[in-house]
This record gives sequence, structure tokens and C-alpha cells, in this order.
Amino acid sequence: MQRDHGCHRIDHEFSRRGFLASGALAGVASLSSPSLAKELQKKQKRVLQIYLQGGVSQLESWDPKPGTRYGGPFRPIPTSVPGMHICELLPHTAQRMHLMSIVRGINLKTNSHHDGRLFMEMGRRAGKFPYVGSVAAKYLMPENAPLPGYLHVTTRGLTDFTNAFLDARYGQLKLAGPQVPENLIRPKVVTADAARRSRTLLKRLNNRFSGRGGQKSFTDSYNASFEMAEKLMARRELFEGEPAGRDLDRYGRHPFGRNCLLARSLLENGGTVVKVTHHGYDTHAENFNFHLEQLGEFDKTFCMLLDDLNDSGMLESTLVMIYSEFGRTPKINVRYGRDHWGTAWSIALGGQGITPGAIVGATNKEGTEVSQREVDGGHLFHTYLQALGIDSTAYHTLDGRKVPIGDPTRQPIQELLA
Amino acid sequence: MTQQPAHVPQPQDPPAPPLSRDLPPGINVIKTHVVRTFSIDDVPLTTCRIDPTGNWVVAAAENFEIYRWPLAGPQSARTILQGHNSWVRSFDFSPDGQWLYSGGYDDRIGIWPLADPQPAPERMLVAHEGWVRWVRTSPDGSLLASCGNDNLLKLWDTRTWELVHVFEGHHRYPYAVVFHPDGKRLVSFDLMGVIKEWNIASGKVTRQWEAKFMWGFDKKFRADMGGARDMRFSPDGKYLAVAGLTEVTNAFAGTHKPMVLLMDWETGEFKQKLRIDSQGMAWGIRFHPEGFLVGCGAPSGFLWFWKLDGDKPFHTFKLSGGGRALDLSPDGRQAAVAQTDRRVQIVQFTDKPA
Amino acid sequence: MRRYLPIILALVLVGPVMDVAAEAPGNGLPQQVDKLIEAALPNFAEHASPLCNDAEFLRRVTLDLTATIPSSEATRRFLADTTPTGTKRVRLIDRLLASPAYARRMQYLLDWILMERRSSENVPSAGWESYLRQAATENRPWDQLAHEILVEGGGDSKTRSRARFYLDREFDLTVVTRDVGRIFMGKDLECAQCHNHPVVDAYLQRHYYGLKAFLDRSYLFTDPKSKKKSLGEKAEGDVTFTSAFDDTKGKTSPRILDLAEIIDPDGSNKQYVTKPSKSARGVPRYSRRQQLGIAVTAEQNRAFRLNIANRLWAAMMGRGLVEPLDLGHVDNPPSHPELLDLLGDQLHDHGYDMKWFLGQLARTRAYQRSSLTSEPSAKVALKHFAVGLLKPLSPEQYAWATMEATGVLASTRSSARKKLESEAAQARAKKTKKTSQAGSDKKPDSDAKQDKAATPSAVSITISSAALETAVDKAVAGHIKTFVAQFAVDGGQTTSFSATAPQALFLVNGALVWDWLKPTTTNLTGRLSKLDDPTAVAEELYIGVLNRPPTESERNEVMVYLAASSDRSEATLELTWALLLSAEFRFNH
Repeated sequence: MQRDHGCHRIDHEFSRRGFLASGALAGVASLSSPSLAKELQKKQKRVLQIYLQGGVSQLESWDPKPGTRYGGPFRPIPTSVPGMHICELLPHTAQRMHLMSIVRGINLKTNSHHDGRLFMEMGRRAGKFPYVGSVAAKYLMPENAPLPGYLHVTTRGLTDFTNAFLDARYGQLKLAGPQVPENLIRPKVVTADAARRSRTLLKRLNNRFSGRGGQKSFTDSYNASFEMAEKLMARRELFEGEPAGRDLDRYGRHPFGRNCLLARSLLENGGTVVKVTHHGYDTHAENFNFHLEQLGEFDKTFCMLLDDLNDSGMLESTLVMIYSEFGRTPKINVRYGRDHWGTAWSIALGGQGITPGAIVGATNKEGTEVSQREVDGGHLFHTYLQALGIDSTAYHTLDGRKVPIGDPTRQPIQELLA
Repeated sequence: MTQQPAHVPQPQDPPAPPLSRDLPPGINVIKTHVVRTFSIDDVPLTTCRIDPTGNWVVAAAENFEIYRWPLAGPQSARTILQGHNSWVRSFDFSPDGQWLYSGGYDDRIGIWPLADPQPAPERMLVAHEGWVRWVRTSPDGSLLASCGNDNLLKLWDTRTWELVHVFEGHHRYPYAVVFHPDGKRLVSFDLMGVIKEWNIASGKVTRQWEAKFMWGFDKKFRADMGGARDMRFSPDGKYLAVAGLTEVTNAFAGTHKPMVLLMDWETGEFKQKLRIDSQGMAWGIRFHPEGFLVGCGAPSGFLWFWKLDGDKPFHTFKLSGGGRALDLSPDGRQAAVAQTDRRVQIVQFTDKPA
Repeated sequence: MRRYLPIILALVLVGPVMDVAAEAPGNGLPQQVDKLIEAALPNFAEHASPLCNDAEFLRRVTLDLTATIPSSEATRRFLADTTPTGTKRVRLIDRLLASPAYARRMQYLLDWILMERRSSENVPSAGWESYLRQAATENRPWDQLAHEILVEGGGDSKTRSRARFYLDREFDLTVVTRDVGRIFMGKDLECAQCHNHPVVDAYLQRHYYGLKAFLDRSYLFTDPKSKKKSLGEKAEGDVTFTSAFDDTKGKTSPRILDLAEIIDPDGSNKQYVTKPSKSARGVPRYSRRQQLGIAVTAEQNRAFRLNIANRLWAAMMGRGLVEPLDLGHVDNPPSHPELLDLLGDQLHDHGYDMKWFLGQLARTRAYQRSSLTSEPSAKVALKHFAVGLLKPLSPEQYAWATMEATGVLASTRSSARKKLESEAAQARAKKTKKTSQAGSDKKPDSDAKQDKAATPSAVSITISSAALETAVDKAVAGHIKTFVAQFAVDGGQTTSFSATAPQALFLVNGALVWDWLKPTTTNLTGRLSKLDDPTAVAEELYIGVLNRPPTESERNEVMVYLAASSDRSEATLELTWALLLSAEFRFNH
């Protein structure tokens, strides 16, 4: 169950203000810099997020520590980047690391799923801020985008309020997989004309009601849901039909494979931010057996998706990130498991605006500490947005106040920005 | 098989303490007690075995090393065997105790002259694509069976180390493979609880079962959990015992219960499902010559003793750490337990000596 | 609270109402509430919206007290009633509270609070819902209800449904301890882990283990024969914990927050009524779980009364005085502390009579504020209840409201009534036949015919409204389930609302809603298609769906829309669809 953020003293103040802000204010954020908007219009950019839910072990992926006390049984393999090694569980990804970079020095100072996840998404440790996916959707999505801006393919039921004080149309639309969303087809009894007429009338009624003042975020969210529904209806062919046998062979017939095929389809057809969650990595027991399975599934599927984006020329304008809410402990527990570890872990990223083939930051010999270039969710947040050409040091402009886009106490990781 | 010199005691060896087989018999598991503790530094152990001569206990751990002690001790006589590049979780021996075989997660089987003062691998055999999960010698010692993460069972000639046969058919990792005492059949048990009996001569599956109760699919995290953690035939081949788990509710938290499955091999029925009402797994199981079963588990840290027809243990013995593997001495008076607290404990199933 | 103002009907219909009770005499709870609300904000009157008009009030309070919207008839009746509005509203409140539908509303509310949409694994939800419905019908006091739920182990089939609270959390001790704190005392003790402040941390850790000590002798027991789960309890076992700060070990007996520890009586250790075994769940002579029921609801445990007061306030007002509702602690104080204390104490003093309490809240000006505001920065007004808050309809309210608006409910009710009447008639006929046969053996045919004539069709059958409501409940249970599946959110907080595209698709394209819109002889779209006068159409439409008369411009809008269409039936259907899917319908405002 999603916990509301009441746990920190500062946050109580913010969340009460946050509620009131979202309630009372019009939520029409705009860039403080008009020239930036023009820049963005030049080239359509997008984001692919692969969220490895539960905390993938950095020791079994991006930051192996072979032969050390906690290194585990897996060995590192060389990659297509000289001097860069990753875990043997990612053989296909290793061949493509020249398209990606690794950040190895992340310290979130939390081991909580909830707090870690929010820090990685909001770029802030606490409070109610829009997720990076919603922010990117807001500033990248063209006016007449054919699909909702932020699409999340996942089977888990967690309710994330991702748009915070941004307009509800930038909130994530959850798709439970590649099957056709229910109720996508207009009933036969309703003609296209009738649908159009009714829809226009409904919009008018709702605008009138919104004019009552009060909690605009509620009515905005309600109205936005119809817009998103309409967009989905107009693009229903994306959900109909089986993917080509050849695609299924390449991506795999398991849910993650199918979800990534849908993700590709959504990106190719005007999706701005597409996130796919892969379950699950929270391996408190049998860490090694389970990472064998889960990364085995992830590795080839992800690489096929990456290849397809690359081959179609989309990769250079698509920011790709592979992340979790934290990593896993170097120490192996009595169940052959690794526990939560926000202290020294890694993510990988590439594509739009990111220098490929780089390793930023390092951990010590056993992975118990960051030894070089420590960063956290705030730095990463800035980096993602800067890579997309969005000035993360600028402000969202809401009615009556400005909110910094990125945490002002953090900076982008310049070494990663192309 | 190349000849190796027998172990010749050197002048500087300490006098060996009386061997357990010289002591008067008298198995009474209620009086089980620890007689000796061996330990390593840093990391938990993964497995241990006692060789057929009863001279040695070998163990492996969450590192790349193999440890060997004289079963009678002392700790200081520990030898470290190096050659693997990953963890080891399975051992077996040639019937005369001269050779140690280790199955490693570096895809290799180590072949070691066990009695050498400082054994070095005679050979590191690349056996599978992926972990070697289990190794077992045939009753006559001429063959070694292995299974691995390539879903294959392989049969090796222990003289030439040629690959004799490959058994394909498991769709998920086989966790253990054993020979039937008649030497003509292999039995394998995989992650999904699929049990296959293979005729060695024909290479075909002769019988198959699904022990679905020893497997679970965690819907939340989308992963399978199961597999044999130990597997043994009774010496007369009448029964097969498999150590593993049951009632998986949360695979990633290790929330499941230990279970030992006892199969009547002739009829093929699941004779007993011995379930322990605590969290964790059964990691080891042995048929004791006196006709009972002894098993161990982790993280709960117990030895369990069952009669063959009883569904609850008639005795339990608390270990100082989780029991990850268990082996009996040839005379059945002692057992070695590989534990999560970095120890191999040698327990004796008799009254304490006066 | 009698205030006789000369109110013009038009003003009542379309305009806001002046502060009806602005100078109301008396110092009852509603007046005290308003005093505290209004005192908490300087220049309250400048920020405040006027009170809502009668139409708004009718819809709002009907939803809040009976989980549905008023019928067209009830709407017209209320709006036409010339009784002064203050009196009219009070009568309406009391009428709604006295109706069987109040119990339905409370069942839904309590279910959401207690079970938070958890699925039914061990206790069928039907039995649990019945239990809550019965308790609400009897207006069982909250402390009694809480006590029943907190002590129930599920071993006795007569009371087993109460154990859904524990059993459908699989009696996971961590979850259950936390939820007892959250749901019955408004304190999320697990939050201790989040705080850095050492003093607060220690404070909460001790609380958590004190609460756990009531429950950790209980365990989940599976009957070996029936496989049914219930709670057994041991007569021994203590809770120890290691301080998060200095590694010292602590031990605690059961205790509620900072109240005294409840020490086990001497000699109670290991004393059993039934010893725990494989075949029998343990029943100790002294039960700590029993003590939990007593201790949580005890006089001294202020958190208990404040929690329920806060939750009921939130249900009526749209926002708790403590938000989130289960996160009250030192760093999250109530927005109106004196008010919360007043509400808690009053509720306690009135024996935790929830019906009385809701009636009091409904009488306040705070409850009756219009949600219409022109405040440029309304955040202050919202925080201080100077403006009415939007409340998204709960899935159950939404289902009932949609069925009422489309006319489905009326026909369901009518079918149910007919069925009950015919069943009663048959039953009476059987009874009459039996008694007459018992009376005399041989009756000539002509007499028998006469007897038949004296059967129920000639004698009126009264179906109790309670029986009718039960029959209607059964008939629509599937629809309620559908709406719950589509629109449910977890409990715990009321300040966010998120509509999803799948929900929008359900409304726009879903077969269920279209089925209800399909014109029949009796439903709304059917009735509308028979009306010639566009004004009548507009009036029937707005009264039926939005429970208010249309404004002048809305009437025109309908006229224009109808005129533009060649198919009257199609046009009225589209208009109904739009109003049904409008935000005005979706929210309680």
C-alpha cells in the first residue's frame, strides 16, 4: 500500500502545503524559459525506463567484485568497452555496453523500498514532487501527441501519484501488460458522430464544473483520464493482434518480453515516456538462483529492444535508463540472500544526451562503500533531464509560485552529459 | 585411473587419535553431542562430505576454496585446496577414497588426489555451460554423473574423463543427480519438482514424477522456487530421500518450510512427506545404517531424526548455526554438518565418553 | 437551531443560502464545532463560502448518510417544501439516519476503514458484510464493535465473521500490530523506522512492542479436518526487543502507548482451558488478546476516541483533522487540536453513538459550506473548512448513484417488491391452507373456492422497508462488486484523487453503463424520449441525474442540442450520458 509521506518533519509541512497546492492551484506549469521550448520542438525526444523492481544486486550486474569475500559465485565478463567488466549474468548486454554508461557510486542513504523508489523517481529524498517520467512528459510531449505522455507497463498494483502538482495529463497511465485494455472499443450502438458530439458536451460540462474553484487537481485528474482514454482508443491497434513470431522469438514469450515489445510499439507510435517494470529482484533469499533467472530474462530482452531502437535510429533521441530503488548488500545472509543496500550501488543509462561507454564513480574493494564520486537520486534526476535538453536548474511555474525542477542542492553529473 | 601412492604417515605428523571405529558401538541419537568443531574464516560453508575411508572431512564455502581436515582433527591440520574460480556445492569420491570430485559454479568439476599432503587438481574439467550443481560417482566408481545449469545431465568416464553420455530432457535446472545402487539407473530432480529416472544403457527416461509440493511460484516476484538440496538412495535402493522445501509463500524472503520427501522406489509412490513446521529448507538427508533418517536444515539450524514410517521427527538436535549439508561417517557413529556459522561440526550419535 | 428566514424559492433553487444558523441559539455540539472552526482563522468570514443551497445539501447529505443520491421524487419534494430551510435540513438529516440505507452506508464505510479492500481469503466477505450491516442497523456503539473485532479468534462459527480483520491479514503479526494501531488509534507505529529523531524513535518503538505484546501469544491455527483457519492463543511468551540505539534489551508487557503495562495475573502462566495441540487451538485461561479489546477501547486511551472522531469527520467533511488519517503523531498534529478533543470527548460521552455523531456533524455550518469559491488562493479556505471540499464518490456510492440516476434502481426495487409480495402471498396461502385443513377435514368444493377468494390478492401485504432493502442489496450485489473492482482505492487518506484511463474507458465504453442507458419503458432515458417539451426534458434530466433544476443557460443548451438532432431518442441518450459522466456527478460537492 502506498504510504502517504508523513514521516519526516519537513515533509509534514510540505505535504500539507503540497495538498493545498495541488488542491487550489491551477497546476498549469510552464517552462520559465521560452527559448528552451523552441529548442525542444526541433527534435522529438523520448525516454525508456526499465525499472528492475525490488533492488537488483549491483554485484550481480554492473559492479562485480570477483574473488572478494562477498563477491559471490558469479564472475565478471569483459564488455564491448575496453576495461569495463560486468557480471556474467548479462552476456548480451555486455556486447552493447558501448551504447551505455554505468554510474557506480550511488548512495541514497536509505534502505527502504518506498523511500528509495521515490528518491530515484522524484530526485528528492522527501516531499511530493513529480516523477522524472512526468516531468519529461510535460516538457517533451508535443501538443498533439497521439498517446498519453507517460505510459507504464507493469503488473504490480502500487498506486503512484506521479504528477504531483503538474497537470494530471502527465501522470502515468498504467498498462497491465500487452493485452488489450478493457473497454477500448466503443459499443456498436454508438456512432462516431454521436461519440464526438457527446464528448464535446461532456468537455463543456466539465469545464463549467472546474470553474467552481476549489480542488482543481481532482477535476483535472478526472478530465485528464478521459483524454488519455481517448488517445488509447484512437491507437487501439497497438494492443490488438499478436506480435510477429520473429519478435516473440527474439524478445521471449514471457511477460517481460511481451511488455518490452509493447514498449517498443508505444515509443515508435508517439509515446513520450515509456516505463517497463520487471518483477522482481528483492532477493533476501537465494539471491544467486533468482538473479540467474531474472537477469537471464532481462538480458536478452533488453538487448533486443535496445537493438531495435538503435537500428531504427531512435536511440540517439531516446534516453534509456535501467534502475532500481537500491542495490543489495555485499554481505550474504544465511539464506544465500542479499538484503537492501542503498549505500553503494549502480545504475546504467545511455542514449539521448549521454556519453556512452563511461563508468562514473566507484565502490571500494568489497563494495561496502562508495570510494569515488558519490551521487544520489538528486544528481541522477538532474542528469536525466539535462540529457534530454531540459534545464533541470530552471523552475516549474505554477499559479503564484515557482518550484525548482531539480533539487537545487544537487547538480547534474557532467561527465555523463554528451 | 593413474596410480597414486597411498598416504604414508610422515614422521612429523602428530599421533592420530583413536579412530571412531575402534570405539565400542552404541548408537543412541538422543545422546547426540558435538565432539569436534572445525572452522574457517569469513564466510559460511556451503557443503561438506566425509570420504569413504572415514579419514577426511572436506568442505566448501562461499568462496573459491575447498577445505580438508582429518576427520579426527585437529583444526590446525586443515588444508586448503585451490583450483576453482567459484563456489563449490557438491562433492563425491572414488569408492576407495583416493579421489575427490568437486562440482563448482565455475562450470568445472575438480578432480583431486585426496590423500596428497597438499592436493592440487589433477584436472579441472569443463563440464557444463553454467554451474555444475551436483556430482555423483557410480557405485563401482567407473562413472561420474554431473548436472548443471545447461539443464543437462552428463556421464563421465572416471578413467579417461571422456564424456560418455548426455541426458537431455529437463526444462529447468536439475539440482541433483544420483545413481541407483544397482548402478543401472540415474535419478535427477529439478527446480520445478520434476523427477526423472533414466536408464543409463538406453539413455531414456523410464519413469517421471512431479513433486509439485516441493516447488512454488512466487506470483508477486515472478520466480520459481524449488529443487533438491540433497538426494540419497537408501543403501538397498528401496527408498529415495530428497531434501528441499514446501509451502512457498514468499520465495524472496525465504518463507517456506523444510521438507524431506521419501519415495518408495519400487512402487514409485510418495511414501512420506516429512514437513517441519519452521521456516527454511531441508539441506541434507541421509539414511542411517540403523534404519532411521537424519536430516539437517537452515536457517533454523537443526538435525532431525525420523523413523521411516513416522511423519514427525522422533528427535531433534540444535546446531550452533544453519545446517547446509550433512554426511555420515562410514560406521554411522558420526556426522559432519556444514554450517552457516563458518563451522563444520562433527557430532557423535552416542553417549558422551566417561 | 431554529432560524426562520423568509427564503424565496428561486433563491433556494439557484442561489447560495445565507448563513442560516449564523445567530443560532444554543450551545450544542454543532455550534461548538462551528465556533472553533471559525475562530481558527482570522477573517474567517472573508474566506468563507456561504452555505450550500438546498439542492446541494440534499444531494450531499443523502450521499454521506445513505451512500446514494436522492430520487427525482425526493428531490422535487425537498425543493418544493416551503418549510424554513434550517428545519427542513434537520428533518432530512434525521429521516436519512432513520432509514435502512443508513446501515448500508455505514457497512461500506466501516468495511473500508477496517479491511482497506483486502481480499477475502479465510472469511467470506458476505458474512463480514452482514455482521457490519447488522451492527450498523442496531447502531452498535463503535467501542463495542471494536472490542468484538479485536478479541475475535474465529473459533466460534456464530461470531467467526468478526475475525476477518485478523484472518484476512493471515494474522501476520507485523501487519496486524501495525493495523491495530493505525485503524483503531490513528497511529502508524511502524513509522518509527522513518524518524531520525532519537527521542521520537524510542518513543514509538516502545509503543509498537507494547501493542505487539497483546497479540504475539496468538497464532494462526489450521483445523486439520476442516482446514479452516482461526486464532489459537498460548498462555506464555514474552516480547523482548533490542533498542535501536544502544543495543540494550527491553522487555514489555502489553501496554497501549504510554498507559500502564498490563501485567499477567499471578499463576496464569501456562494455564489453559484448552491446551494447544495439532488438533485443537489453544485457549488460555488468561487471554492477552481479550485484554487488547478492553485496553484499546478503555476510557484512558484517548487515541481511540480521537481516531474515530477524526475518521468520521473526514468521511463527512472530506478531510481529516489529522491527515493522513492513520498517521497521527508528535510531528503530525491535528489542524484543529481543540476541536478534535471536543469531538472525541463528545463521541465518547455519547457512548460512541456514531449515528448521533454524524447527525451532529451534518448540522454544522462547516458541513454545509458551499464548495463554490472565488478565492484566488483557496488553499487557506480549504484547510480551514471555510469552503466545502470535493469528495470523490466511493465505488459503492458511485454504483448506487448511477443506478438511481439511470432509473435502474427504481425498476430493481419494483421487481424486488413484486417478488417479495408474491413470496409473502404464497407463504400466506400455504399457511391459510394448512390451518383450514387442520380445522376441518372435508370441505365442500364451493367453500374451498371461497377460501381461495379470500387469499392474499385481496388482503394487502406489507413488505418492511428493511426486507425490501435487503432484497435490493442482493439484486445489485454484482454491480457493486464491478464498481468496487474499477474504482477502489486503499484507505488511509482522503487528500489525493487520481482518475485512471481504464476507469474512463469503463465509463465511456463499458457494457454495464450502456446497458443502463438503453431506453426502457421505465428508466430515465426511456422517460426522456417520451417527453416532447425540451424544457421538460432539461428539468427531468437535471433533477434525475444531478438532483437540481437546470439553470437558464443549461435549459437552452439542452434545447439547442435536441434541436440539432434528427433522432430525439439518440439525443436524449447522449445528454444523459454526458451528465452521468460529468465531474459534477462524479464528485460529492
